[in-house]
Amino acid sequence: MKYIIKQATIVDHLSSHDGKKKDILINNGTIEKIADKITDKADQEIAIPGLHVSPGWIDMQANFRDPGHEYKENLASGIAAAAKGGFTGVCLQSSTDPALDNKSQVEYLKKTSAHLSVHIYPIGAITHAREGKEMAELFDMNQAGAVAFSDDKRFVENPKLMELALNYTKNFDGLIIHFADTPALSSKGMMHEGETSVFLGMKGIPSMAEEQGLSRDLYLVEYTGGRIHYNLLSTAGAVGLIKEAKKKKLLVTAGVAAHQLYFTDEVLKGFESVHKVNPPYRSQKDADALAAGLKDKIIDVICSDHSPEDVENKNLEFDYARNGIINIQTAFPVANTVLRKKISLSELIQKFSGNPRGILGLPTATIEEGMTAEMTFFDPESTFIFTKEENVSNSANSPFFGVELTGKVHGIFCKGNAVIN
Amino acid sequence: MEQKEEQLSTRHLLGIKGLKKSDLELILRTAENFKEIINRPIKKVPSLRDVTVANMFFENSTRTRLSFELAEKRLSADIVNFSASGSSVSKGETLIDTANNILAMKVDIIVMRHSAPGAAVFLAGQLKNYPKSAHAQIINAGDGTHEHPTQALLDAFSIREKLGSLEGKKVVIVGDIMHSRVALSNIFSLQMLGAEVMVCGPTTLIPKYVSSLGLKVEHNLRKALEWCDVANMLRIQLERQSLKYFPTLREYSMQYGLDKKLLDSLSKKIVVMHPGPINRGVEITSDVADSEHSIILDQVENGVAVRMAILYLLAGKS
Repeated sequence: MKYIIKQATIVDHLSSHDGKKKDILINNGTIEKIADKITDKADQEIAIPGLHVSPGWIDMQANFRDPGHEYKENLASGIAAAAKGGFTGVCLQSSTDPALDNKSQVEYLKKTSAHLSVHIYPIGAITHAREGKEMAELFDMNQAGAVAFSDDKRFVENPKLMELALNYTKNFDGLIIHFADTPALSSKGMMHEGETSVFLGMKGIPSMAEEQGLSRDLYLVEYTGGRIHYNLLSTAGAVGLIKEAKKKKLLVTAGVAAHQLYFTDEVLKGFESVHKVNPPYRSQKDADALAAGLKDKIIDVICSDHSPEDVENKNLEFDYARNGIINIQTAFPVANTVLRKKISLSELIQKFSGNPRGILGLPTATIEEGMTAEMTFFDPESTFIFTKEENVSNSANSPFFGVELTGKVHGIFCKGNAVIN
Repeated sequence: MEQKEEQLSTRHLLGIKGLKKSDLELILRTAENFKEIINRPIKKVPSLRDVTVANMFFENSTRTRLSFELAEKRLSADIVNFSASGSSVSKGETLIDTANNILAMKVDIIVMRHSAPGAAVFLAGQLKNYPKSAHAQIINAGDGTHEHPTQALLDAFSIREKLGSLEGKKVVIVGDIMHSRVALSNIFSLQMLGAEVMVCGPTTLIPKYVSSLGLKVEHNLRKALEWCDVANMLRIQLERQSLKYFPTLREYSMQYGLDKKLLDSLSKKIVVMHPGPINRGVEITSDVADSEHSIILDQVENGVAVRMAILYLLAGKS
């Protein structure tokens, strides 16, 4: 199959065509030619005004609820949403039911997604059943294709166990992805502890809960020389801790969920459970610190933290509602809306593509002749309103329905095929 | 009644937060009339005839529920009661389903107590989406640690009755501020009506960011009492604390218990309130509870009048 992409601005800091408007010819999944004008005959021509193209984006934190809760999301529906959101690769967290904690679970995801349009990168659990008691078979999962290890949003409380996991994964250059928390400080908390939580009479989750957990980890990382990544920073203090750790040359990288940049705790004043997320929306000062952290290269990655929930689990009194929003279709537009005036487009795209690829050890997907074509089509300037009709997830827990966002995703090219929105 | 043309700015009573100062004043004025009525030999008026009220109590309550029931009965409303300990998906029916079922039987007003903060706001927001339930009006009778607006209104009524006005009066709320919906609603209503508010209690029971509400914080009870005109002594609610926030009740009352000796040693006479039920000997001693300083039983009496006023005014908005 031959594709021609017409007059696309290439956003790829590793490509010799970076920043230029080109035609791109893809033949059988390989970039055959990049030139000012290509007149070859093609099976499909992709010509969209304002089109930009970058190496395919990778989402480092998503849940597709498969296996276990396929009515909320399954691999097919999650992948369809990912493609619409511009992701050519998605890391799936271990909090499936049962937990993704062994080789056969990893293989199930790899096999079931093999014929689908987006790459799936399983994240195996650090501990059996994500219980925080004993290490799971990390090496075996690594061999089967797990790209990292995480107990998703459960903090490994036992510091000895965490030390062992960091040390053990060094054998095969494994990556631990951790959720910084101190359960004794955050448990039963419903929202960020601050002026708004006092105003609403709700139990707060202090920023200190995240920062204390993160501090502890950093001692263990320094001690073991292990490699760790945080997908979901939420506090200004945590950004400061990562900055210090990077200064010390610890093997630490960090990310932020796109919506964490967009909302603050003030949005909870109506007790709307669609805004119940973990980590919670924090203060404007924290959101600003996260944006500054992205600019200063302290935060490397922006993820979706896609967390599908059905009405029965979400449309409840705030206390009883589950955490999370669907965001894989909107992660880029949301981040772009907040950040476009704060960081360059090239830097923003690296948070979605180059950096996650580097952290996970995936191919760079550079846009050069001879490379395998894996790319995302988008337009950072055009605005749109996200609607329920456009949502392809099995769930509908999005706070962005009816919201105008800047930065439209037009689709992806992955596994030899174009998926155009 | 003569103020029939005056109306509340809201269809529901979800919290003090959603009210305007004029709403508070209207409720208090209306309650004065009802207080006069319930002191007549024939206490019952036909204002809410053919209005059906459901008292949905998802959390235990004796006095608030009794007070609402009496208010409803004295307005000639028809009443149904529903109580369940705890409501969540784990217990089966959701709050929306429960409410829709009750409302399908032609109920007009729901009085709800619930353990989850914001539950009344949530319910009012949801019912709009159901044609058979959209007419319903919600009165929040306490939602977790969020608000207890009728308690705050009856407290304001009682202070006003005793001191004439709230403007410029100094009110200290003593005790567990962190877990108290009474404290939060009182803070909002007292400030709206022009009073100055202080909170006083052990450092562990005062939220870290509480001063953002524009009030004073004091940890020494004697100093707080010397400052105030009115002391509202909150009930210590051990059932709301997952971990003990102070070592023992004995130690709490050593620091924050109000006894007659302390009261008499103050340089001025203050008014003592308590939302009940009293832990005698913990927050206040018996001789204080039963002293001339105390308006605790006035609060209870006024509770019925204030709730009648709220029901009456809301029904007029339907």
